[in-house]
Amino acid sequence: MNKTADRIAAVAFLALGALFMVESLRISKSAYGSAVGPNVFPFLLGLVLVFLSIKLLLETRRYSEATSEKQARQYKKFLVIFIAAIFYAGLLEMVGYVITTFLFLVIGFQTMEKGALWKSIALAASFSLGVYGLYVKLLQGTLPSWPIWFQ
Amino acid sequence: MDTLSFLLEGFQTALQPHNLLFAFIGVLIGTAVGVLPGIGPMSGVALLIPVTASMTAGLSPEQAAASSIILLAGVYYGAMYGGSTTSILLNTPGESSSVVTTLDGYQMARQGRAGAALAIAAIGSFVAGIVSLIGLVLLAEPLSNVALKFGPAEYFSLMLLGLAAVSGLAGKSMTKAWIMTVFGLLLSTIGLDNVSGVARFTYNISYLYGGLEFLTVAVGLFALGEVFKSILHNEMNDGDIAKIGRILPTKSDLKESAGPIARGSLLGFFIGVLPGAGATLASFFSYILEKKISKHPEKFGQGTIAGVAAPESANNGASGGAMIPLLTLGIPGSGTTAILMGALIMYNVQPGPLLFDEHPAVAWGLIASMFIGNVMLLILNMPLVKLFAKIIQTPTKYLLPLIIAISIFGVYAVQVTTFDVFLLLAFGLLGYWLAEHDYPLAPLVLGLVLGPMIENNMRRALTASNGDYLVFVEKPISLVLLVIALLWIAVPFFMKLRGKTVIVNEDM
Repeated sequence: MNKTADRIAAVAFLALGALFMVESLRISKSAYGSAVGPNVFPFLLGLVLVFLSIKLLLETRRYSEATSEKQARQYKKFLVIFIAAIFYAGLLEMVGYVITTFLFLVIGFQTMEKGALWKSIALAASFSLGVYGLYVKLLQGTLPSWPIWFQ
Repeated sequence: MDTLSFLLEGFQTALQPHNLLFAFIGVLIGTAVGVLPGIGPMSGVALLIPVTASMTAGLSPEQAAASSIILLAGVYYGAMYGGSTTSILLNTPGESSSVVTTLDGYQMARQGRAGAALAIAAIGSFVAGIVSLIGLVLLAEPLSNVALKFGPAEYFSLMLLGLAAVSGLAGKSMTKAWIMTVFGLLLSTIGLDNVSGVARFTYNISYLYGGLEFLTVAVGLFALGEVFKSILHNEMNDGDIAKIGRILPTKSDLKESAGPIARGSLLGFFIGVLPGAGATLASFFSYILEKKISKHPEKFGQGTIAGVAAPESANNGASGGAMIPLLTLGIPGSGTTAILMGALIMYNVQPGPLLFDEHPAVAWGLIASMFIGNVMLLILNMPLVKLFAKIIQTPTKYLLPLIIAISIFGVYAVQVTTFDVFLLLAFGLLGYWLAEHDYPLAPLVLGLVLGPMIENNMRRALTASNGDYLVFVEKPISLVLLVIALLWIAVPFFMKLRGKTVIVNEDM
């Protein structure tokens, strides 16, 4: 087990538990006809989370250090795809489903492995148009179709 | 006789053409999910919830719920069939529940008996599926009748027991499992409070008033989390696929595996009924059992057919058994059943003792469809297994971006806000990070699904007792449930203290 990661997580969960406790104090305490207000359950859970985080923090002291086995990670590939996904989500309603999906998939395919560009384009086009046709035309679903400035 | 007539009515629902189609799609995709390493049953089911939601949009709510759950359950038990294929042919388990199958299955494949191993796995899965369904039919009525007598205090304790069971067995560290459970429960408190209508932790963000959508969280944590892991760790599927050869097992193969299949089915079923112990543990235990009672224990690991038959029957029996607490008590015993429960709640169908009275078409239709689905799977997996083996070769470079695109489409199609798409991506990152550092995700989802019910029952019980917390230990049934919950946590803890190794579910 990774000592640093678990310490970070323990502190984060500790803060989260404390935050929920503090914030639940601001929730109205009374509920008509009920002895227990909406603040009790989250407060108790926050308290339990704080205790558990402290327990985890104490447990990390017993971890042995010799576990760090560095493996190669494809951070670059991942970042490109993740940032592309963020742009995909952000532009979805403005530019429409078909174009954003097509672009995201082409970028995704090419990032995973360069080459065979035409195959990527064909697959991305058939997926984005296929989903759009099936969902919007056949099943009458709602998707932002084309760029807003086209309409 | 009541049960039988209900079951017949269930078959009427399940045999409607569109439901047959849904069951077929479900088991087909389930088998594919099982075959593909990297997509487990949890992410498969989560990914398909929005897709089924859009497919059933034209049906009435009750029919839509029945059809969707038929498809989603098909993915769940279909994955149990498919998981064996890669174990045998590639020595790579498609699911964690098929890890044990690699021991003898791959050896058999190396000896040129892959076809027989695959066939026995399919036959064993089929027998176990039917056995567990018969158990489900017999136990459903009596169990839900018992549960109907439960008041809020008993329900609260029962759900605590469910959480304790899952958290006690999930992952390497119990502390981490509990943190995940409580984190899930906390996330479930976001949004408008059911009882008083007060907004909690919403900070005037209008999207949060309805609470975090279960679907977004589940798809993000499981489907996207696994995709991110595959990209980051550069998991490509290569390796040689063994030749399948003759598919029909010989008479001696069948004779040798009859016993292990029968024992595996029963053992798997009972382990599946217990919350927390899932298909993985069932397959593991049944393998150990066969090795213990075998006349030739030294043959295990060398490619004996019993070593394939027993665990493959057990994991299917367990997946059927796991439906019992879900349907009759409303307590999911594993991550995948928690996701199924979330899907049912999306359709306003509350699993639990009232399910059989209020939505008989859903409950019995599902059970009947599982009979049909198992027959479909047997047919799919025997002659068509060579076709499914081809799925293994699907290039990951196309698969992974497509899964991201399907996730985003699914969440957007159901929620129609980009807020949820961003939330989805965030939970994908979180899911990757947590799973990477041994924080089990199943308890988180379980907490998220059970949270509102636990809170409601707690507050109802406390209101009835005028705020006296002792009500949970004063009612005898509630006390018994709480004691069992406590033991469930305490026993493994003390066993660890005494230096014994405790078997845990790595993945549920």
